[in-house]
Amino acid sequence: MDSVAPVQESAVQSSISSIPEATETIYTPTGVRRNGMTGWRIMVNDLVESRRLIWLLILRDISVRYRQSILGYAWAVIPQIATVGVFAFLHASRVLPMGQTRLPYVAYALWGISVWQLFAGCLSACTTSLASSGSLVTKINFPRESLVIAAIGQPIFDFLIRLLPVAAVFAWYGLTPSWNVIFLPLLLFPLIFLALGLGFVLSIANLAIKDVGNALGTALTIGMFITPVLYPAPVRWPFTLINILNPVSPLLTATQDLIAVGGLTRPEMFALSCLISMVVFFVGLRTFRVTILRAAAYA
Amino acid sequence: MTSDVAIQVQGLGKKYCRSLRRTLAYGVRDVARDVFGMTPAWSELRRDEFWALTDVSFEVKRGECLGLVGPNGAGKSTLLKLLNGVTLPDKGMIRTHGRVGALIELGAGFHPMLTGRENIYLSSAILGLGKEEITDKFDAIVEFAGLEDFIDSPVKYYSSGMYVRLGFAVAVHSAPDILLVDEALAVGDVLFQAKCFAKFKEFKERGATIVFVTHSLDLVTSHCDRALLLGRGRVLCDQSPKAVVDEYNRSIATRSEGDQHRLGEGVAEKALFKEIEWSGLFRTNPTEDRYGGRKAEILEAGIFDVDGVPAQVLERNHEYVIKVKVRHNESMPAAIVAFTIKDADGRVLCGTNTLYQNVNMGRMQKEETIVVAFRQTTRLNPGEYLLSLGCGALENGDYSVYDRRFDYMTFQIVGDSPRVGLFDPECTVRWERMN
Repeated sequence: MDSVAPVQESAVQSSISSIPEATETIYTPTGVRRNGMTGWRIMVNDLVESRRLIWLLILRDISVRYRQSILGYAWAVIPQIATVGVFAFLHASRVLPMGQTRLPYVAYALWGISVWQLFAGCLSACTTSLASSGSLVTKINFPRESLVIAAIGQPIFDFLIRLLPVAAVFAWYGLTPSWNVIFLPLLLFPLIFLALGLGFVLSIANLAIKDVGNALGTALTIGMFITPVLYPAPVRWPFTLINILNPVSPLLTATQDLIAVGGLTRPEMFALSCLISMVVFFVGLRTFRVTILRAAAYA
Repeated sequence: MTSDVAIQVQGLGKKYCRSLRRTLAYGVRDVARDVFGMTPAWSELRRDEFWALTDVSFEVKRGECLGLVGPNGAGKSTLLKLLNGVTLPDKGMIRTHGRVGALIELGAGFHPMLTGRENIYLSSAILGLGKEEITDKFDAIVEFAGLEDFIDSPVKYYSSGMYVRLGFAVAVHSAPDILLVDEALAVGDVLFQAKCFAKFKEFKERGATIVFVTHSLDLVTSHCDRALLLGRGRVLCDQSPKAVVDEYNRSIATRSEGDQHRLGEGVAEKALFKEIEWSGLFRTNPTEDRYGGRKAEILEAGIFDVDGVPAQVLERNHEYVIKVKVRHNESMPAAIVAFTIKDADGRVLCGTNTLYQNVNMGRMQKEETIVVAFRQTTRLNPGEYLLSLGCGALENGDYSVYDRRFDYMTFQIVGDSPRVGLFDPECTVRWERMN
């Protein structure tokens, strides 16, 4: 019996000692201060602390999404294949010739649309993430950016599934990309961060003004046509503006380059786009942190 | 701030806007100000804005249980939201010490398609628990919620009681230092409520602080160390639960128009039988169930103490008068006037009428209005009750309903010492030694 007692005592003590080391939180009209931390420091701290929550939310979304569906994960590829099928037909029948692509048209379009869907999917999932969480956002206090960040899990997962038809088409045409394609994920990161950065701001806007969600759908449809997704990047002025002004274009073109020629044709444009993505990401996250408490009240 | 203070609130103010369009416009402007770090315009009211809370200051000590009471719209929920940090104040400051847990929106993080088990992990993570903590507490959570058999079913197949129980269990096991409770206990059966209060006690003994919003004044007197009465966004009273209950009764008597206009002595006198309208003295039930032919109709009713002061919170074993104002819409024999009292489960507990009481009021003129006063001692045990009223007559041997108003208003009974069951047996206990 004697050997048991100290163990119990220490258990009791640990539960009591959790109180003195407690955090002090101060709320004022200008913001939150926790244990003396404000602004960027709380933000980074919360981001690190909520890693596990983000992962759990991602698992939730993926496991729930197709639980009541017969075709299940096939829905990740059906729209992509249908769209490419239509455009391949228009292209092949010369109704809507798309010009010379570096890869066979079907392979080119399938890849382009997969990458575009990754971006568009992330952006729209982020935008609706807060509004679709309902009272969780308005009533529970937790790092809500986790919801926005976790929203990219599903589109990324869908993207991975879409790689299957892409690989099948490449095999059909007997195309073997260079070993450099192992760097593809690195090229996709900036695209995802760009979507996240924009998503942070749009998710807040969508909480208060429901037009945002509707407007985004239209904007993304137009966006797909002013990005070299289904046609090769233009080479004649002024259409080359599409390659420069649209931050998604250089990121997409870079992945197409990597697959077709095994390297980057415009590394400087890609670098600039990366920089823009990171700036958008951090500005978006900061804006989110500053506004979420006020915005939640209007939800 | 001394170390034994868990919550400190100073000069707190929070405003809201009545108009949705302006809310959006102001919101966009405020958010823009926040983003660009401009001087805020929070301290003055803009068009259509009002202070939901103003000039609220108080402290809660570690290990204390504070009850927050007040009529609807007093600002209780707003205050709880601010304490929980889900919205920022427009004025003043809140300082909290320790992890804040909230029993506010139970099961808010639950996903209907996920099983109970998956939801426990997810919503514990939302409430800030680490992986090991959840694994440690998992069994305790399931046991507390009493859901051992259903833990691997999707929560969308749960009954609402099961859902809330699971939400409560998760929230309560997140080991908060400060626990905010908002009416959450209205759900669940009596056994579960008892379990919850046992858990609260355990919290207090561990040194945790509880802030408890409720309409049930009895819960405040029986479980809280102190109570805060809120009215129109202000702290009206910050005292012992008993003192706050008294003040609550008096504040209900305050007419809803003129702010500080108390019911004076003379007014109370008149209220006993005629003249004054009672609307505004009581919070009546807007969704009462009313029917009848209206040959005579019940204009209004109310409960008053023996001094004529309106009361919606009654003390057990005190005398009160239930008054019913009836107008006869044609020349007729006086209607039979009745009242019944039901508990929250809908059981009829007691009631009587002028016929049973052998009150003969004779014939009434058209438009003649009477007030019938039923005077009795409340023996019912503490809790929330519903008052129903009726008037009618025996016509050709059948009872014909003129006007029946079910669940006209609620009232509460508070008591200083516990009893079992529906009513106080009013025992006097004597004893002696046998040898």
